[in-house]
Amino acid sequence: MLRLVLTRVAAAVPTLLAVVALSFLLTRLAPGGPFDAERALDPAIQANLRRLYHLDRPLLEQFGFYLWNLLHGDLGPSTHWRDFTIGELFAKALPISIQLGSEALALALVLGTSIGLASALPQRGAARFAARGVSILGVALPVFVTAPLLQLGFALNLHWLPAGGWGDGALSHQILPVLSLSLPQIAIVARLTETAMREALGAPHIRTLRAFGLPGWHIAAHALRGALLPVLSYLGPAAAALLTGSIVVETIFGIPGIGRYFVDGALSRDYTLVMATVIVAGAMVIAFNLLVDIAYGWIDPRVRDA
Amino acid sequence: MPDASVPLWRSLLRDRGGLASLLVLGLITLACIFGPMISPHPYDRVYPDYVLAPASLGAHPFPNELEQARGVLAVRMHAGVHFEEAASGGMAVVIASSSALDPRVTRALERSDILRPTGPAVSANDGRQLTIPVEIKRNHFLFGTDANGRDLLTRLLAAGRISLAVGLLASAVALGIGVTYGAIAGYAGGRVDGAMMRLVDIIYALPFIFFVIVLVMILGRSIALIFVAIGAVEWLDMARIVRGQTLSLKHRDFVLAAQALGAGDRAILTRHILPNMSGAIVAYLGLLVPRVILAESFLSFLGLGVQEPLTSWGILISDGARNIQGAVHLLVFPALFLAITLVAAQRLGEALRASSVRE
Repeated sequence: MLRLVLTRVAAAVPTLLAVVALSFLLTRLAPGGPFDAERALDPAIQANLRRLYHLDRPLLEQFGFYLWNLLHGDLGPSTHWRDFTIGELFAKALPISIQLGSEALALALVLGTSIGLASALPQRGAARFAARGVSILGVALPVFVTAPLLQLGFALNLHWLPAGGWGDGALSHQILPVLSLSLPQIAIVARLTETAMREALGAPHIRTLRAFGLPGWHIAAHALRGALLPVLSYLGPAAAALLTGSIVVETIFGIPGIGRYFVDGALSRDYTLVMATVIVAGAMVIAFNLLVDIAYGWIDPRVRDA
Repeated sequence: MPDASVPLWRSLLRDRGGLASLLVLGLITLACIFGPMISPHPYDRVYPDYVLAPASLGAHPFPNELEQARGVLAVRMHAGVHFEEAASGGMAVVIASSSALDPRVTRALERSDILRPTGPAVSANDGRQLTIPVEIKRNHFLFGTDANGRDLLTRLLAAGRISLAVGLLASAVALGIGVTYGAIAGYAGGRVDGAMMRLVDIIYALPFIFFVIVLVMILGRSIALIFVAIGAVEWLDMARIVRGQTLSLKHRDFVLAAQALGAGDRAILTRHILPNMSGAIVAYLGLLVPRVILAESFLSFLGLGVQEPLTSWGILISDGARNIQGAVHLLVFPALFLAITLVAAQRLGEALRASSVRE
C-alpha cells in the first residue's frame, strides 16, 4: 500500500511540473504583452515595467524565477487588477470555488448513485424510466442552459431564492449554483452506477448468494461494493468537469470564485492570472486523481499489489 | 481491401432509434444550410420596430405594435399622428401640427418597419397637415426577435451552420491528430508506446477547457483557431482507441503477410491496419462530434468563441441568458435546438458504437 502511495505521488509531481511548464510556455508565446495599451507607454517606463516583472530576461531564467516564486506560494502580480497580487485574489476566491465544487460533487454522488441504484434493481420500471430521462437531460442540457433556466424559475418568477451573488456564503445563495453545477454530473453518475450495478448483479458470486436464498437488499449490498468502483474512478474526471462548469456557474450567478477571475483574466489578457488559474486548477485535479488512485488501491487489492 | 463501413450501415438501419437520430440530424443540417437562404429576413437585418417581439405564428404588426409605431412616429415627427381611412380605400397616415410642417418629416415614415408609403403626401390646412396613403408591411417572426430586433429563427439557423461546421471541423482535427498519434504509438510499441501514452495520460488528467481558453486567448478569436484549439485537446480518446486497435491488429496474419511481401511500415498502417478499424473510428467520431459542439457553445457562451456578426448556438444562448427576464424565447429556442442536436448525435454515436461492436 505504501509503495502504491509513493509511486502515485512520484508520478504526480512531473505531471504538475508539466502543467506549469506548458502554461508558462503558452502564455509567453502569445503575441502582445500585458503593457500594450491604447496609448503606448513611454519607452523608459515600459523598460522599467519589464524589468520589474523580469520580462527582459531570457525565457528559461523567467521560468526559473516563476518556479521559485511558485514554490514559495507566490503566484505573481495580476496585470489587470493592478492593486492586487494573485495570491490575494485567490485567498478570497478559492475557498468559495472549493466550497461550491465540493457541495456539487457530494450532491452528484448521493443523488446519482441513488437514482442509478433504483433503476438497476429489478421490477422498477418507473425508476428506470426516470433514470433514462435524467441521463438524457444531463447530456442535452449543459450548465449554461440549466443555470439561467433555474435562475428564471426560482429567482425571478417565484422569488424563492436570490438570483445571484454569493451573499457571504448564505445557504439560500448556494442552492441554485450548486444544483445547476451538479445536474450533469448527477446524470453521469446515475448512468455509471446503473450499468455497473446491472453488471455486478449478474456476477457469479451474486448468483450464488441468490441460490442461498438471501433477501434482495442483502444481495444488493454485496453487489454495490463492486459496482461503486467505476463511480470512484469517475471522480477524477468529475472534478475536472466541475471545475469547468464552475466557470459558467460563477459567471452566470455572479459568484466571486476563481472561475470568474479566469474568464475575466482571459478576456483582458492577464497572463499571470490565467497562468495561475490553470496551475491551481491543474494542481487540484491532479491531487484529486491522486486521492482517487490511492482510494482505489485501498478498496481493490488487485490494484494495490499490481 | 475490405470495406468495413458496409456492415456498419446495415446494422444501423436496423436500429430504429439510431435511424431516427440520423434523420433528425439530417433535417437540422438541411434547415441550417438552406433556411437562411429562403428566409425573408437576413440573419443580421435589424428591425428597430420589433425589438424582443415574442414568438408567434401570426403576422406582425399586432394592434399594439401598430399603436406603438404611431407613438414612435409622433415623437420622431414632433407632431400629432393618427391613422384614418384613405379616400382610395386602404389606410392613410395623417400628420398634424400647429405650425407649418417640414415635408422632410415623412422620412421617418420611410424608415418604418411597419408602414410603407404608397403615394405622395397631400398637404392641407396651409401645410399644417399632411396625409400620406400607406400600406402595412406584414412580417412573420415565428420564433420572435432578439434584443436588437433581428429574426430569431433565421439567426438560429445561421448559428447552426457555425456550430455544426465547428463540430465537424474540430472533430476532423481531433481525428487527424488522434489517429496519427495512436497508430504510431500502437505500431511502434514498446518504450515509444509507453512514453507516448504516458503523455496522453498526463494531458488527460487536466481540465482541458482551461487549455482551450488559454489557446483562444493567445491565438485570438478567429473561427479557424477555435476548431483547431478544440481539436487540439479533444484527440486523446481517439488516440487511445486507435492505439488499442492497432495493438490488437498488428500481429494478425494479414499484417504478417503484408510484411512478408515487403510492404513498408507506412503502407501497412495506412492500407491494412487503419481501414480495418474504420468502424471503431466512425463509432467514436459519433460520440466526439456532440462533445465538440458543446465545447464550442461553452466557449461562445463565455464570449471567447465566435464573434459578432457571426453567431453560434452558444452565443444565442448567452444572449438569451442575458435577456431572460423579459424574453424567455431567446433562451428556450436556441437551447432546444442545441439539446435536440446533442441528444440525436449522442444517440447516433451510441448506435454506431453498438453496431461496430456487433460487427
